[in-house]
Amino acid sequence: MPLPVALELADVSVRYGARAAVCGVSLGVRRGEIVALLGPNGSGKSSTLAVAAGVLDPAEGTVRAEGQLRTSDPVAFAARVGFVPQEPALYDELTAYDNLAFFGQLYGLCGADLRRRALRALSRVRLSDRAAHRVGTFSGGLKQRLNLAAALLHDPPILLLDEPTAALDPASRDAVFADLARFRDDGHAILLTTHHLDEAESGCDRVGVLDAGRLVALGPPAELLRARPTERAVLYGHLRTVPPKYLVRAIRERLGRGAELDVTGRRLRLAADTPEQLGVALAALLAEGIDFEAYRTPAGSMERALREGCEVARV
Amino acid sequence: MKSRFALAFALAHKDWRLFWADRRAAALCFVVPVLLAAAFGAIFHKPASAGGPKLPLLVVVEDGGAFARLAANDLLASPRCDAREVSRAEANELVANKRAVAVVLPVGFDKLKDWEPGAGGSRPEVVLLHHPSASAERQWAEGVVTDSVMRRTAREAFGAKESEVAPPFRVSAEAVSAHPGAFDSYTHSFCGMTLQYLLFWGMESGLLLLRERQRPVWLRARASAVPLGCVVCGKALATAAVAVLQVLVTFAVGYFAFGVKVHGSFAGFVLLACAACALAAATGLLVAALGGTEARARNVSILFILGACMLGGLWVPAFLLPDWARSVQDALPTAWAMRGLEAVTWQRGGFWSAVPGALAVGGFAAALLALAAVRLKLAERAARNGGST
Repeated sequence: MPLPVALELADVSVRYGARAAVCGVSLGVRRGEIVALLGPNGSGKSSTLAVAAGVLDPAEGTVRAEGQLRTSDPVAFAARVGFVPQEPALYDELTAYDNLAFFGQLYGLCGADLRRRALRALSRVRLSDRAAHRVGTFSGGLKQRLNLAAALLHDPPILLLDEPTAALDPASRDAVFADLARFRDDGHAILLTTHHLDEAESGCDRVGVLDAGRLVALGPPAELLRARPTERAVLYGHLRTVPPKYLVRAIRERLGRGAELDVTGRRLRLAADTPEQLGVALAALLAEGIDFEAYRTPAGSMERALREGCEVARV
Repeated sequence: MKSRFALAFALAHKDWRLFWADRRAAALCFVVPVLLAAAFGAIFHKPASAGGPKLPLLVVVEDGGAFARLAANDLLASPRCDAREVSRAEANELVANKRAVAVVLPVGFDKLKDWEPGAGGSRPEVVLLHHPSASAERQWAEGVVTDSVMRRTAREAFGAKESEVAPPFRVSAEAVSAHPGAFDSYTHSFCGMTLQYLLFWGMESGLLLLRERQRPVWLRARASAVPLGCVVCGKALATAAVAVLQVLVTFAVGYFAFGVKVHGSFAGFVLLACAACALAAATGLLVAALGGTEARARNVSILFILGACMLGGLWVPAFLLPDWARSVQDALPTAWAMRGLEAVTWQRGGFWSAVPGALAVGGFAAALLALAAVRLKLAERAARNGGST
């Protein structure tokens, strides 16, 4: 029997001045479920999440957290939602514990209860031994885990994460998804945004594809893949260093029209029409001195699903 | 209500922790006003034992006559001048460098010994050499030279005795002020620099809030549904707490190292200090509310704060300011605060002498705070609706 819907977005629209960023998105996230919002930059993922978190007011539509409307009681709504911004929302000057203590107070926690919850949140993200360390000394991965802990302090049933693995190395990314899987098993409803297909494919129960502010596809990754078999061969990689832009441009020109190369920081996505072409393209990259820390070629890919979904929306 | 107070206190406590996180910067917050106050105090300080100021005067004697020699000696011996004899070329060089005013006793000056009241004919011309910017010193020198030469002329031309050439009256100087105390440059500069750095601290605190509003932590605060009133109260509380500490430290150093004392009402001093701290907090919130980018907010704030300090008489005593500057002082909270602090320190005023200043500064603080709160509320509303923060 499926668990109840914890987060419900109904016909939500967001506007920045005259520009519509989100148009009529309706979406429900159940307890014990991880849903990813997927789409290219500017597709409305972060705006949708900001509305769900109560950071933005929707121009139209409603958001309910466990049946609670934000407009009727903002504090009760906030108590049901834990929001994790894309960049760590922390004070570098304070210790990990002090950060959590402060954010806990924002949710009305105090005294022994606050202390217990802060220590528990640190334990849940495996940072107990770093409680007294200044956040400024943390790596990106540790900061992201503490960022997550800050959202767990008041024990909300709903977790909202805006690109939680951006700028993380593969090990930290896997750790974040391992944490999320545990929280899902604890009964949290989790909505996250990403523009990395492999994350959505492997770590989430359902995926919603956004394009130009519209939800163009929604379903389990496997279902989306079954309906649209893979045509292109894809490789996702994590590089040891950020390659210079001129080098990426030069490699792209050498690869020709059959292959695509996208590099975002240390993340790399390489796609080709056939596995053979992908191998040739990979060899070209290695010949240019591109140094991989890790890479994988997914068994199935949502590339086409995403592309087709977007094309349908544009029509 | 209790939870709102706790929330404001939590926000203030966080700002307090952030202030002390950079201990060197925090220490500079207290050291810099003390150093500047000491420097300004030293510049305007006049030791009580040194007597009145003396005019630096150069004497050039171009006439070889006995009368000219005697007149020159009178000037060199005058207690009103710090005089010495030099050549014309030397005088030109020193005057051009603004070191002194020079008086030239020209050829033919000796004829004055035969002068008679009402006598016609040509008169010798005494030349005063002065720097273009030293017109006050020129007038001072003219008075000294006229007095000295006329005394010598009366003695030589009419055979008068020293007692007979003295003026038939005495001049006595009396300082008139609304308060009985004597001006003390260190007290003035410690009051002025403390006020100035309270405003600068307010600005820094405001810039911190401005930075926070542009960082992801603000998203978390917004998601947690913290009422804006709590944010404003928390920020004002933290800013005012550090400002109080700044007043305590600056005046404590002033007391122990430079003898700065509250000669008048201590309660009045505390009242004014509290009003000034509230003004610092309101200034900070206004900076955070009106500032676009941090660089823009900082530059505009510095311009306004320095302008208000200069015109408010925080750098130099108000009586040294030109009329136009004094005419705008009633519109400046800094001037009201300074008047109040001076009244209860070196002017030895009672509690009620501090009240007008405290009320005016408190009024300015309340107005700025209200403006900042309204502006922040509008900005938050716009940000929630998809406008810029």
